[in-house]
This record gives sequence, C-alpha cells and structure tokens, in this order.
Amino acid sequence: MNEIEFNQELDCRGLNCPLPVLKTKKAIDEMAAGDVLKMISTDPGSQNDVTAWAKRTGNDILSAGHEGSDFIYYIKKN
Amino acid sequence: MPGLHSYSADELFQFLIQKDDMLVLDVRNEEDFNRFNVEGPFPFEMTNIPYFDFMEAEDASVAKVPRDKPIKVVCAKEGSAQYVGEILVNNGFEDVSYLTGGIKTWGNMLAPNRINFESDSYSLFQFIRPGKASCNYGLIYNGEMVVFDPSRNFEFYQSFAETQNARIVRSFETHLQADYISGSKQIANETGADIFAHHGDFKDASFKYNELGDGDIYSIGNDGPEIRVLHSPGHTPGSTSYIIDEKYLISGDTVFIQSVGRPDLGGKAEEWSISLFETLTKKVQSLDSKINVLPGHYMDWTEANSDLLFSETLGQIIENNSEVYQMDSPEKFTQFIKDNMRESPKVYGEIRKVNAGWLDVDIDEADIMDLGKNECAATTYNAQKV
Repeated sequence: MNEIEFNQELDCRGLNCPLPVLKTKKAIDEMAAGDVLKMISTDPGSQNDVTAWAKRTGNDILSAGHEGSDFIYYIKKN
Repeated sequence: MPGLHSYSADELFQFLIQKDDMLVLDVRNEEDFNRFNVEGPFPFEMTNIPYFDFMEAEDASVAKVPRDKPIKVVCAKEGSAQYVGEILVNNGFEDVSYLTGGIKTWGNMLAPNRINFESDSYSLFQFIRPGKASCNYGLIYNGEMVVFDPSRNFEFYQSFAETQNARIVRSFETHLQADYISGSKQIANETGADIFAHHGDFKDASFKYNELGDGDIYSIGNDGPEIRVLHSPGHTPGSTSYIIDEKYLISGDTVFIQSVGRPDLGGKAEEWSISLFETLTKKVQSLDSKINVLPGHYMDWTEANSDLLFSETLGQIIENNSEVYQMDSPEKFTQFIKDNMRESPKVYGEIRKVNAGWLDVDIDEADIMDLGKNECAATTYNAQKV
C-alpha cells in the first residue's frame, strides 16, 4: 500500500461516536489548509459518518481503508 | 445531565401506537438513515439531522428542531443521541430523551400481540419486529411454549415465557432464513428446547435438529392444540408452513398478506418458481379459505388490522393477490417472477451461513448483519389488484 504523507495523527481506537468525528473536527479545525490528518478508528460506524462529515465540511478524504480492526482515514483540510 | 432522559425501544413502540405528539430526531448520517429508519403503524413526525451538523453549526441545527413537542433522539448506538440531547437541553429544550442502545435495539425489538380469543384454552401470540417488518410466533399451553421462527433476541423469549409461566420446549423453523439471524440455536442451547426444521433447507446444518415431514402432527402440553406440518416449498426447497388448531396458518415466507415469498433468493429462480407455483395452486389454495394466515413478513403497517395484528383470511389474501393466484401455468408464473426480480441483498448469503451454523459471528457483526428491513417478497406492486 502506498504511504500517504500526513501532518498529524489522531488515534480514536476504542472510542464510539460521536467522539471519533468530534475529535477529528477539533484536530482539523486547528490545522492549516492543505494539511493532512491520519485518523484511526475501531468503530465500524465511523465509515459512513466520516465520509458524510467530510462531504458536509468540504474536506477531502484522500484514502479510507481498514487493516484488521482499524479503520484508517487520511483527511486533507481544505 | 438534568433534563435529559432516556427511553427504550419498547417505549418507543408504545409512543408510536399511542400516537404521541413527538418528533423522532434521527441524528445518524443520511445514508444510514435512508437505509433503515423507524417505522410505526401511524404517521408520525421524523427528521434526520446528523449529529455532526450540531457540531459544525449548532445554532442553525438547533433552529431546525421544533420546541413545542417532546424530542426523541435516535442514533446508531446511543452516544451521539446523548450528545445531541445535551445540546438541545443546553439550548432550553424541556422534554428531550435519547434511545438507549441506539437503533439496533429498535431493530431487535419484539412487540407481542395476542392473536386468538382470550377464552381459548391456549394462547397464540404474534411477535412483531417493526425494525425488520417481520413476525414470529409463540404458542403457549399448559406451561409449555413453542416458538416459530424466533429471532436472536433470546432475552425477550425467555422473559416472555416467564410471564406466561411457561418454558420453551420447541423451536420450529419455517425455512433457512436469509434476511435475519435465527434465534433457534441459542434458544436450544440455553433452554434445552428442540429445533424442528425441514431437511430441504437444513440438511447441511452444523447443529442438531429434528426433521419435519409433510403432514406430521405435533402437540403441546399433552392435550394442547394440534400443530400440523405443511411442506410448502418455493421460497426455499425446505419451506414449511404450520397449521395451528386448523384455524391458523403460520405461513413463513410462502404466503404474505401482500404478495408471495420471493423464489429467486437462492439463485435458482426458475426451478424454485415452479415449485412455488405448485405449492400455491395445489396446497395453499386447497386449504380452508377461512383459515387465518400469519405471515413471516409484511411490507408495511397498512397491512395490519385494527388490532395491529398482521393476520388475514386466506380467502381475502387470494382475492387481494388475484393476479398471482389466478395464473394458470407455471411458465406464466415463472415469467412473472422474472419480470419482478430485483437484486437480493449481499448480506443474505452470509446470514444463511450463520443460520446453518457454518459461520460464527460476534455480537457486533451480528448487529450489523441483522439490521434493516427484509427483502423477501416477490413484488410489492404488481401482485396487487389495481
């Protein structure tokens, strides 16, 4: 798998909604436009939530995949 | 937090049947909401505002919520509903509550409804699962209870049997279910009840069951009402219906109030269509037209009668679905099925494996697989008399 470069990593493993999206929002709010956040969640419900949240806020999901029980997102702030 | 309280899926069903004035506020993402949401017997107000909208634009999102009625917040598990509930309370809303356990508890919730007369010596209950649009059944007599097509909400059956001073002794399957996870195995493990199923569907099952034969007669509590086995293949090769006390037909996914069971879910549409045609013309139509059909599914709540039961006489069903029942050749019937085929949900193959005991899933996976309305009817429109 190609490694995507990122500026910050956010570990949301073990957290249930709304926390993964809430923490992602807070992290993204503090980042500069163009920066990339790597977020890891173990909540399967995060998949549709993160996608819908990114669409709503106009941020780009560069990649969304999973390894074992981890769901890994690379989100670029716009 | 003061002001915010919770409610259970059972209570939500009560609010819905009491026609409470309220708003069901579903805070899941739009895709999950559109795939599956709360349905009730009567119209009610429901809005979808994702919880992250409250994060991003609190004031604008709060402004969309009416202040003149109780707000019942729903989310996937319960955390987000609690989160939004707190925001509403902080914004001065007075009557806000969130669904304990989230939408999956609604998906699993069973509502019992007595079918037969109180004066009968036995009691027959329909367990409606509004989250699946499905029905399963319980028959009780003399301290014994038998269940038909139980879902995996074991706690419900256990406590229901207790309230009836009965123990669960048998679990009858109408077929190998593809749309929900069966509770028979767990009931058998926990209570020692025997599973009864047709080898046409279950011959490769990994667990022990008693083989049903067409015409077999079972009893309950020594001298209780008769349970007669009617092999009714088509939806699946092993599909079986049960005639209770010669008055009720537990029809599984063979006969529905609207439409008939899809014979195309197993990838053998042609072969199974012919088999269903034979069942409908030779077996079903020769039953007493006054028999009350108790189906495995409904399309929507408009099929319920004034007691909120899904039960209709066979004669009325044949009349309402005359286009299907009047077809005079298996070729025409097969063509009708083909014309109305639609994709079967991908998860159904996995659910079948679970129900045959070939695949073990943990509770979270089971929750995900088991959520959502069924897709088991042949067609919802074309079978109807216009």
